Amino acid sequence: MNSKTFPGTVESIDLIRHYISEIAQSAGLDKKSSYNLKLAADEIATNIVLYGYEEPGLEGNIEVLDEQTEEALTVIFEDTSAPFDPLARELPDEEDLTKPLEERQIGGLGIFLTVKGVDDFSYERVGEKNRNIFKMLKGRVS
Amino acid sequence: MKVNIKTIKDITVIEAEGNIDSRTAGDFEKATVDATQGEDKVIIDLSQVEFLSSAGLRSLLMLYRQVKARNGKIVLVGVSEEIQDVMENTGFINFFTLTELLEDGVKELS
Repeated sequence: MNSKTFPGTVESIDLIRHYISEIAQSAGLDKKSSYNLKLAADEIATNIVLYGYEEPGLEGNIEVLDEQTEEALTVIFEDTSAPFDPLARELPDEEDLTKPLEERQIGGLGIFLTVKGVDDFSYERVGEKNRNIFKMLKGRVS
Repeated sequence: MKVNIKTIKDITVIEAEGNIDSRTAGDFEKATVDATQGEDKVIIDLSQVEFLSSAGLRSLLMLYRQVKARNGKIVLVGVSEEIQDVMENTGFINFFTLTELLEDGVKELS
């Protein structure tokens, strides 16, 4: 398991995205899967920084862990902000997503794109840490 | 993230370059909303945009509402395959016209 720590600030979001691209590349993910993982990582990192740390005025890190097997790449974000399960909130459904843009709710798309873009997304609270877990299957033909 | 605004005939052309994410979407939105006040023919050239997050989608949504309120039309030019997928998954794609090249976008609005 590799690990890299980023401060939980907006400046880190670019860097995390870049780091995720490198991991995706070394795992041999195709272009589309790499993009989708990067997007998911961006959305979750943004939530952690803006709502986990900045809004309540806390300081902390995002630790990015990754592990590869022959079948899959797993990336885990660990942070020490208050417990927050991205999946607890209801995601936009088919009806919401076909509504005219004039009538759309503004929020909720980030988590939707996260869940939609990776092969498996899960959340757990372990001790004082949030763990957001992204899993991508390798060798998928898209 | 850079935004460049120009006019071709009576069309407002907004060229974006870089990543449109939670850090840059605010600037992108302000620049585009300001540039399209009172305009009803708008092209956004995204051919130099590699990454667009949900924050970028929200900016497009706000811009769409402003232009649509005047019965205007927005053409997106040079949208990458990956961003097109995101727009499709979120049902955004149906509300914009997409063209590969700027000249096709201009034709679309002429």
